[in-house]
Amino acid sequence: MKVKVVTNILKANARIADENRRALCGRGITTLNLMSSPGAGKTTLLARTIRDLGARVRFGVIEGDIQGTHDAEVIAALGVPVIQINTAGGCHLDANMVQSVLPELPLEAIDVLVIENVGNLVCPAEFDLGEDAKVMLLSITEGDDKPLKYPRMFRECEALLVNKVDLAPHLDVSLGKIRADALALNPALQVFEVSARSGAGLEAWYAWLGGKLKG
Amino acid sequence: MHELSIALSVLDIVKSAAADAGLSRVDTVRLRIGKATGVLPEALHFAFDCSKAGTPAAGAALEIEEVPIGGHCGTCGRDFTSPEPYVLACPLCGGGAFRITTGDELAVLDLEGEP
Repeated sequence: MKVKVVTNILKANARIADENRRALCGRGITTLNLMSSPGAGKTTLLARTIRDLGARVRFGVIEGDIQGTHDAEVIAALGVPVIQINTAGGCHLDANMVQSVLPELPLEAIDVLVIENVGNLVCPAEFDLGEDAKVMLLSITEGDDKPLKYPRMFRECEALLVNKVDLAPHLDVSLGKIRADALALNPALQVFEVSARSGAGLEAWYAWLGGKLKG
Repeated sequence: MHELSIALSVLDIVKSAAADAGLSRVDTVRLRIGKATGVLPEALHFAFDCSKAGTPAAGAALEIEEVPIGGHCGTCGRDFTSPEPYVLACPLCGGGAFRITTGDELAVLDLEGEP
């Protein structure tokens, strides 16, 4: 006996992601899903952004890591509400994990919720968490071949921060190739060349983020 | 690595569809997977076989119908398909004004089994 199903495999995730989106949008919260390889500088960028904008924007953070609480401690030290999710081996966050921790955050006192995904250029791109925008970091030490090797994430994101540009003089890497290949994959992508360490280029990122605020 | 999450989602859908249709045993599960999803059929077969024990699909075979990336080019006006996992330009004329129409599929199509 044959049974027709025709059901999207990620339907359950998509349904929960929509619930998250409604819950967060309903409170006027802008939610970003921040993704990159391990070590690209997600936490450094986030800490710098919170330090620079924290007087005007109320941040909340969900940290996703395979194990440990290092990143959550860095963010908590800035006085920002933060919840750590440990995936215990899982390579990405999914909508259900995010939904399960939302009640632990003071949502009424958050303007921007940043979900820092597990460091990985592949799997996180496939799972909608209920965010308003996917944002990715690529550090130039990873090489200028990455957009064409990991096209999916570059296609899914609204904004790309090309990080660690202060190291460019020491590397054989072409910022122009990163930008051109990323834009070929995703012509609408906003590309920012920044150094989360030195602060170079961050004003344009802050302006983009400011444009996303709902308040 | 995400093939395991996808295999578990497939099994959830299969369990629910089998219960709705009154199937006690599922023999075949057919999926449609687009090339642009990045899902590797071999890894998904492996993850499915590792996860199916104890479900009505414990003895089921997975059949995967792959869909290539296809699009319509605004420059030359033609429809195209590509064997690549991503498309940077129209493979027919090299133009950049194209839109992707197929390749993002990720669905359970049907299943076969016995009551």
